[in-house]
Amino acid sequence: MRSEYITFRSVTLAQRGERALRRDGVDCVLQRTPRWMEERGCGYCLRLRPQDTVRAVRLLRQGGVTFSRVFAQKDDGSVEELAL
Amino acid sequence: MIYLDNGATSFRKPPQVRQAVLEAMERCANPGRGGYPAAMAAAEQVYRCREAAAELFGCQPEQVALTSNCTHGLNIAIRTLVKPEDQVVISGFEHNAVTRPLHALSAKVTVAGQRLFDWGNTLEEFEKALRSGPKAAIFTHVSNVFGYILPVEQMARLCRQYGVPFILDAAQSAGAIPVDLQSLGADFIAMPGHKGLLGPQGTGLLLCARLPEPLLQGGTGSDSIRQEMPDYLPDRVEAGTVNVPGIAGLAAGLRYLRRVGVENIGRRERTQAEKTAAGLTRLGLKVFSGSHQGGTVSFVPSMDCDELAQKLAKRGVAVRAGLHCAPLAHKSAGTLETGTVRVSFGHDASPGQTQQFLAAMAALI
Repeated sequence: MRSEYITFRSVTLAQRGERALRRDGVDCVLQRTPRWMEERGCGYCLRLRPQDTVRAVRLLRQGGVTFSRVFAQKDDGSVEELAL
Repeated sequence: MIYLDNGATSFRKPPQVRQAVLEAMERCANPGRGGYPAAMAAAEQVYRCREAAAELFGCQPEQVALTSNCTHGLNIAIRTLVKPEDQVVISGFEHNAVTRPLHALSAKVTVAGQRLFDWGNTLEEFEKALRSGPKAAIFTHVSNVFGYILPVEQMARLCRQYGVPFILDAAQSAGAIPVDLQSLGADFIAMPGHKGLLGPQGTGLLLCARLPEPLLQGGTGSDSIRQEMPDYLPDRVEAGTVNVPGIAGLAAGLRYLRRVGVENIGRRERTQAEKTAAGLTRLGLKVFSGSHQGGTVSFVPSMDCDELAQKLAKRGVAVRAGLHCAPLAHKSAGTLETGTVRVSFGHDASPGQTQQFLAAMAALI
């Protein structure tokens, strides 16, 4: 199943993001950020369904939760960064 | 044992605190380091503590930095706001946790307001000192020796008016008097986890309204490629592995406080402190009491303070005698030579404790 990812610089910020999304019914999974997504090294991300990403980004911004980047996994397994 | 040394640490914690510590030791690995279940369980425990603290103290979870005690938090805050030889204003009732870091920085310290239970004097002297343009102000919410509740809301307003950043030492108030980072407008509020918040020893919180300077550098599980400490909260001041079992216990203490109510606990403590002060006065002792007093009472007995505390201990009553790591407060009150005996109530304050303490005192003097 295709997934999209919102990355955070720390586990605390990712947890705050997770709470904010779940509170509004957006399903997501908190996990370590794959190394190739994280240029600074060692971060956490939220994995979510592609159809939820735009709403999730809006909710995070509304809640003042700082995130780093957004990535989409394509059907062939490759990943591209999204500009939202 | 009649435990009346809650100013040092709370002793009879709610049972759920111990349970939370045990569960964390069984289930939790290192938070913010791995993605496997035991690491994520640890991260969840730690975040729950931040959430509970943020809710109780009016801030966001990431503004809650986890420290090993109040002194640790105060040192971080002081090192952030005060540079060597800076001018600083403090109250006349500060603990060594404030005065020693300032001494180490060779700060030029102005002590403002040394009259016990006198808000007029405290505010007048404090404002006078702020007019001289200090780099920072640092004041305790409640004197750990005398239970004097300082007019911190007015002092905070004065700091904002004069543009002076400030640190609140909530060592004796957190858990007994409402404290709110946002409404107070403090730059930092430091508090222990093991006193009024009912967590285990070795825990503390630093509420940060601005980015602090780290005391320690090291691994944070974030920004690992960079050699500078992260420039965001709370990672900037949390190098190394945090005390997960302690933090889980602290979170349980915070949840207990929310259920019982900080105001209710504070009222219970103050009621027993008032009765204690009245009883000691009836026994003819010099008692320090007045308006704006929390759940702590100090008195000077007719014998040596430590000798009396030892005799009380033999009768099963735990109090603290001496200078209470606050020589400045004793100097302000004129008790630097004798010290005092301090009775400090906690969340379990009860009329029975007061009666038994006063009965022991009546038998000893």
